[in-house]
Amino acid sequence: MEQPHPSCRGAEAVLNLQSGSSISVAYHPLFGPHDDLILLELDEKLLPHILQQRVTLRGQPDEDAVLCTPSKTYGIKFVGNSNSVFLIPPSDHSILCDHNGKGHIQQASASVIKVAPGSMELVEVAPRLDKLRLLLSENPYRSGEVLQFEDVDGMEKCIAGLYTWDDLVDKVQASDEELRTGLIAFSAVEIDGYWRIVDEEYMGKLLMALFPSSVLNDWSLNALNENEVVRVLVQDGYPQKLAHHCLSVYGSKVGEGLNGSCLWSLDERRVCVHFAREILRGGKRKMESLMEEWRHKIPEGMQASFDMLEGEVLTEKLGVDLWVRAFSVSALPLTPAERFSILFKERSKWEWKDLQPYIRDLKVPGLSLEGLLLKYTRRIQPTLDAEPIFSAR
Amino acid sequence: MQIRIKCSCSEESCQEWAIVELQGAVEIQPSFQNSLHNLKIGQLCRPSSPENYTFTVGYHELTGSKVPLKKPFLVLKKKKTTNVEQQSSESDSPGAELEVVGIIRHRILFKTRPKALISKPQPVVKKKATATCSSAAIK
Repeated sequence: MEQPHPSCRGAEAVLNLQSGSSISVAYHPLFGPHDDLILLELDEKLLPHILQQRVTLRGQPDEDAVLCTPSKTYGIKFVGNSNSVFLIPPSDHSILCDHNGKGHIQQASASVIKVAPGSMELVEVAPRLDKLRLLLSENPYRSGEVLQFEDVDGMEKCIAGLYTWDDLVDKVQASDEELRTGLIAFSAVEIDGYWRIVDEEYMGKLLMALFPSSVLNDWSLNALNENEVVRVLVQDGYPQKLAHHCLSVYGSKVGEGLNGSCLWSLDERRVCVHFAREILRGGKRKMESLMEEWRHKIPEGMQASFDMLEGEVLTEKLGVDLWVRAFSVSALPLTPAERFSILFKERSKWEWKDLQPYIRDLKVPGLSLEGLLLKYTRRIQPTLDAEPIFSAR
Repeated sequence: MQIRIKCSCSEESCQEWAIVELQGAVEIQPSFQNSLHNLKIGQLCRPSSPENYTFTVGYHELTGSKVPLKKPFLVLKKKKTTNVEQQSSESDSPGAELEVVGIIRHRILFKTRPKALISKPQPVVKKKATATCSSAAIK
C-alpha cells in the first residue's frame, strides 16, 4: 500500500520500461517449476501455421514426437540453458489464475512465474515414410479378396492390417502433404476407405487384360479413353477402382477425350519395367535370355532397352556370361543410414554409375547428395581420371 | 496419435511474455527457501541515456540490454484433458493438448559478470532482498 504502482505490470512493464524508470522483479505468487509451461523456438515463417492451428505433434508413445505443419515435418529437441531465464507473464494472464483464483494477489512488480531450464528447438527432418510402407505392406490387395469380403457379410470386416487416412495420420510421423506424396509414391489406392497397395501380380493381370482389349478395339496406347478402358476391365471382372488405379500406375493423364472422359497414355518405361520385374521374380537370368524374353513380352509399339532397368537390377559377370538379377531401389529403406548399410551389404564396392540410381531418391533436409556420400561412404579414386569407387565408412 | 497445438490468440495479438536472463543462478538465502512467493529478486532499471538496462540483485549490479530474439519463442501450456471435455472438441487428441499462451520476442539479457555495489543500495536490502547472485560462470 505504501508504494503506489502504475497500472502497468508484468511482462508489459518489463518490455516497455521507459528510460529513467525502474521496476522491481519478484517471484510470482504462483512461482514454481511449472513443467507444463514449455518454450518452443519457432521460425517466424511457421507462426501463421500456429496461429491458424494447422500444427500438430505426431508420434506413438515409443517414438520421439515430431511437429508437423501442413507440408513439413520437424524433429523436436530440447536445448538446455545454463543461464537463469526468468519467465515473466503478462500481468493479466488468466491461464495462471485458473487454479483457485489466487493468481491476482496484488502484484507490486513484474513477477517471475518460473525459471526456464531451456527450450525446444525444431529441426526439419524427412518424413518417416518407411513406416508408411511397412503398414501398407501388411495387407496388400490381392485377387480373390472380393470373395472373402462377401463371406463375412453383415459382420464387422476383419480389418487387421488395413488403415484409413486417419489411422495413417495417427501412426505415421509425416505431414499431411508428405503422407499424400508417400501414398502416391508407393502406388497406394483407397479402397473401401482403406489405403492399400496392390499386389504386383494382380496389377500385372490387370495390365495383361488391358492389352488384348486395346488391340481388339483399336485403341492407341498413347490415348486411352478412361471410361472405355474402365468399362472393359470391369466387364472382365475387375473392380472399377482398380481398373482406374491401373491407368494411374502405368500411365499418365494426357488430356480430355470426346465425351469428357480423360485420356491416358501408358508410360513405356513403367510398362517395360513391370515385365522385366515379372521375369526376374523367377530368379537371376543371363542377359541374353532376359532381353529375349523381355522383348517378347512387352506390347507392340513399345521398345525395351536395358537402361530402363536402372535402379531395378544388378548385373554381375560369372565366367563369360553377364547375369542380371532384381534389386529394386523401391524396396530399400528410405533412411540414409539403413539404405547405405544394405547397399554395402549387397556389394562392398560400388562404382558411381551403379550407385547413383540407388541413392538419388534419398532426401534429407539440409544435406545434399554429396553430403550423404561424405557421411556414409569412403571414396577411392586411384588415379585422377579413374572412376571413383565407393565403399562403406 | 496426434496432438493439435491449440491457439486462441487471434492473428497478431498473441500476448507477449518477457524474459530476464542472467548468467549463473540466483540463490535464495536458506531462511527464505520456503517463502519465496512474492519475494523480491531485484530492481530492473533503465537509466536515462543509453540503451542499457541494469538489474540490481542484493549488493550486485548487472548491466545488460534488450535483445530481440532471432526466432521467437512460443509459450506452450500442456493440458491434461478429461474425457468429458474431450467429446465436444476434436476426437483426435487423447489425453493431452498443447495450447499457445504467449509469445516471446525480446529478452533483457545480462551477460556480464555482476559488479559489486560498495554502498548499500536503498532500502531494497532491508526488504527481503536476500537473493544474491553467485556462481557466474566465466565463458
